[in-house]
Amino acid sequence: MSYVFIFKTKESKNDRKIQEINNQNQSNNRPPNLIESSLSKNLEVIKQKTGNSSDIIIRPLKIGHNSQIKIAILYVKGMVDNQSVNDSVIESIMNNQNLSEKLIPQDVLEVLIEDVVAVGGIKVVSDWEKLFTALMSGETITLIDGISKGVCASTQGGQRRSVQESTTDVSIRGSKEAFNESIETSIAMVRRIINNTDLWVESFNIGKMTKTEVSIMYINGIAKNEIIEEVRKRLKGINIDGILESGYIEQLIEDQTTTTFPTIYHTERPDTVAGNLLEGKIAIFVNGTPFVLLVPALFIDFFQSAEDYYERFDIATAIRFLRTVIFFISLVGPAIYIAATTFHQEMIPTELAIIIAAQRESVPFPAFIEALIMEITFEILREAGIRMPKAMGSTISIVGALVIGQAAIQAGIVSPAMVIVVSLTAIASFATPSYAVAISARLVRFIFMVSAATFGFYGIILVFIMLIVHLCSLRSFGVPYMSPLAPFIREEAGDTIFRRPIWAYKKRPRLISGQNRVSQGEDQKPQPPRTRIMKNTTNVEKGEPNES
Amino acid sequence: MEKAKISAYQLFILIVLFELGSALLVPIAIEAKQDAWLAILIGMVGGFCLYLVYHGLYSYYPDIPPTEYLQKIMGSFLGKILAFIYVLYFIYLSARVLRDFGEMLITSFYWDTPLFILNTLMALLVIYTVRKGIEVLARTSELLFVLIFLLGISVLFLIVVSGIIQISNLKPVLEEGIKPVLKTTFTQTLYFPFGEVIIFAMILPYLNRPAKVKQIGLLAIGFSGLILASVMAINVSVLDVNNITRSPFPLLSTIQTIEVAGFLERLDVYFILITVIGVFFKMCLFFYASVVGTANLFKVKESARLAFPLGLAILILSITIASNYSEHIKEGLHVITLYLHLPLQVIIPSLLLLIAFIKNKKKKRKQSKNLFPKRKYRLVERDKK
Repeated sequence: MSYVFIFKTKESKNDRKIQEINNQNQSNNRPPNLIESSLSKNLEVIKQKTGNSSDIIIRPLKIGHNSQIKIAILYVKGMVDNQSVNDSVIESIMNNQNLSEKLIPQDVLEVLIEDVVAVGGIKVVSDWEKLFTALMSGETITLIDGISKGVCASTQGGQRRSVQESTTDVSIRGSKEAFNESIETSIAMVRRIINNTDLWVESFNIGKMTKTEVSIMYINGIAKNEIIEEVRKRLKGINIDGILESGYIEQLIEDQTTTTFPTIYHTERPDTVAGNLLEGKIAIFVNGTPFVLLVPALFIDFFQSAEDYYERFDIATAIRFLRTVIFFISLVGPAIYIAATTFHQEMIPTELAIIIAAQRESVPFPAFIEALIMEITFEILREAGIRMPKAMGSTISIVGALVIGQAAIQAGIVSPAMVIVVSLTAIASFATPSYAVAISARLVRFIFMVSAATFGFYGIILVFIMLIVHLCSLRSFGVPYMSPLAPFIREEAGDTIFRRPIWAYKKRPRLISGQNRVSQGEDQKPQPPRTRIMKNTTNVEKGEPNES
Repeated sequence: MEKAKISAYQLFILIVLFELGSALLVPIAIEAKQDAWLAILIGMVGGFCLYLVYHGLYSYYPDIPPTEYLQKIMGSFLGKILAFIYVLYFIYLSARVLRDFGEMLITSFYWDTPLFILNTLMALLVIYTVRKGIEVLARTSELLFVLIFLLGISVLFLIVVSGIIQISNLKPVLEEGIKPVLKTTFTQTLYFPFGEVIIFAMILPYLNRPAKVKQIGLLAIGFSGLILASVMAINVSVLDVNNITRSPFPLLSTIQTIEVAGFLERLDVYFILITVIGVFFKMCLFFYASVVGTANLFKVKESARLAFPLGLAILILSITIASNYSEHIKEGLHVITLYLHLPLQVIIPSLLLLIAFIKNKKKKRKQSKNLFPKRKYRLVERDKK
């Protein structure tokens, strides 16, 4: 199957490539857009191209002996770091001794680059397209009269949100930092964790209009080359107007679109990204969003949080078990209640069955309708709560809890047992660590409810098997979605709903990382000292060995 | 054949789930009364022999499904007819499993629901799965096997805790001698469920390590035989012989007698879970074998396309196969064993193995200069991959 799949994508990619080539040909047919040597003409072109936009600052200067050479400095207001433009570019040019000597324009260029502009990143461009890309991304351009080249100094800056605590992946233990909207900051945050030359970054500009910077990051030697190549290919195949968030990329490069389950992981936390990179996964950073994508993503990844690895393994395992149960409840909670009360009353202990029957006596609807009313009400409350201004939040909870909960029971629209079931399910769906998988569980829950209402447990089981077949048929960048549970890989199953001790992570995942699979040395298990001498400090000083 | 590979572990699980599938559902070997477990165990030994026959054929032709090697052994015309008969046989068997299951649901849980609706739902699920291919089926089995395993253990625990097992029900052993036991074995348990592993002949070419096929298959048959025998023994010891001969679904009756701590009772849902999953796999495998067999026989390139029409045929067949449940069971236990199972599971494969053996011996004599016999060489080569 996988073969067929790869073949198909190749075909479509080829089509896209052909389109791209056509586009390039079209652009090549236009007259060559090289910078001219006359400064006034160049400025004219810039003004015309940008529609004389008011945020583009053009600062003319005169330098050289008798100030006979005209130059112009250009930048976009707000995109640059004002201080470095003023200090490192404008001031250095105006005050530099070398520039006031007798110079021909050609020398000015060299002197500018070598002696004057005090900025780290500097480059010389000769065509308009590159010049505009640089200008629009916050660099400062210097144009010299008589030379058909521009000097770009990287002075990017301006106001960005500072590094703050994560709001979506909250943890009790571990780093509190979260990525922010600036791609440079985000990449640097991961680099700070993995100090290694093998951490490689590749950049692309995606989006015909937005030209958004997208970078992939992986550890050379750990990540699988085929998967890296596949990611590159899929990213290069994207040809749309704009990338506004990593969600755009996610939807354009996923393996299968006809599923409610996410096959690409996204996170805000640098430590999660670093941990996944160490397993051989590939991170995709998109400028303008704090959410970083991780591929390939397995189903089980969505039930793990970074914190699991910081707690001791027994506690983490217990928590992961709890999460599995939680996910189950959020999927089939109301469905089981519906099936039990409508079809299989004999399964409920007699006393409870009588109580439920007494409660439901005054309710005019069948259990399914009752559940549907409560579920939809709850979904409305939740959706309202997300976009509600914080000051109004308490109103929602009062309306939700008191008016709808209590009053609905008193009015005889729903039974108290149903309120318990629905609220439990709702809380369960919040307890799933990943929002992406919780939201798909929310959708699937309704299918379960319909099947329970029509065929009882038989319906639930059939839908359940179908769900598992569906999950098993998914792949994320060629890796089976349910691995390492199905196909079962014994040495990796320890990091699924269990979390083995850190010292037992001897190898990296087989399907994800490439050739280099040994992740830690032998004998990482801590052991108590063999001798009791440690207590006595004098003996240790004498040089008694107490290695384990 | 699709380009798929399954692992030895997956084969093990598929065989176990397949064997347990509908055998847990219906009363098997009940003619042997309290010695039913013994009849199952002897049937299991017979199952080993049959599996060795099928494996023998596989080792002569490790890369092609039976529908193809039948033509190589028997010649194109006769082979094609035989292959067609086998495909029909698989279709018929999957319809039988579906009917068994539908009848179980109607008698025990859904009295007012039409058989057609219950069967349709199951058939749709099976069609959906088979369209996804054997790899997905194998992966699904790995996940659901864990579920079945946990359910089985917890049911066993509950049965033991509720103290309903009475070993005295199993006595006397061999009350009327070994004869009725052997008779039950050779009229029933040998073919159903053990002889039905013949459909794995269609699956074996997908194995990624052919050298392990023999060992894994025997292990799986042994494991499932032990489970079936112990389940039957528990059924008899809980219900006693008189009740069990009257019960259409002994395991269900056993589970219904569980009562622990005053509130864990009527655990019918356990039974539904176990049987739905078991029957699902049994049907999927039969159905997959018939779809792949048909595709191979009639040179259809995309076998997934056959899933819908064949699924529809099986659905209709499962309804029309018998006019009521007693007729269905009577057919299953007496007519089918003699006229279908015996020739198709035992006689023809043994004859085929004999012919293949003679044919290959001739070939070997011709190529006696070769250092390696061709068959073994092939196996070694594929293992390296």
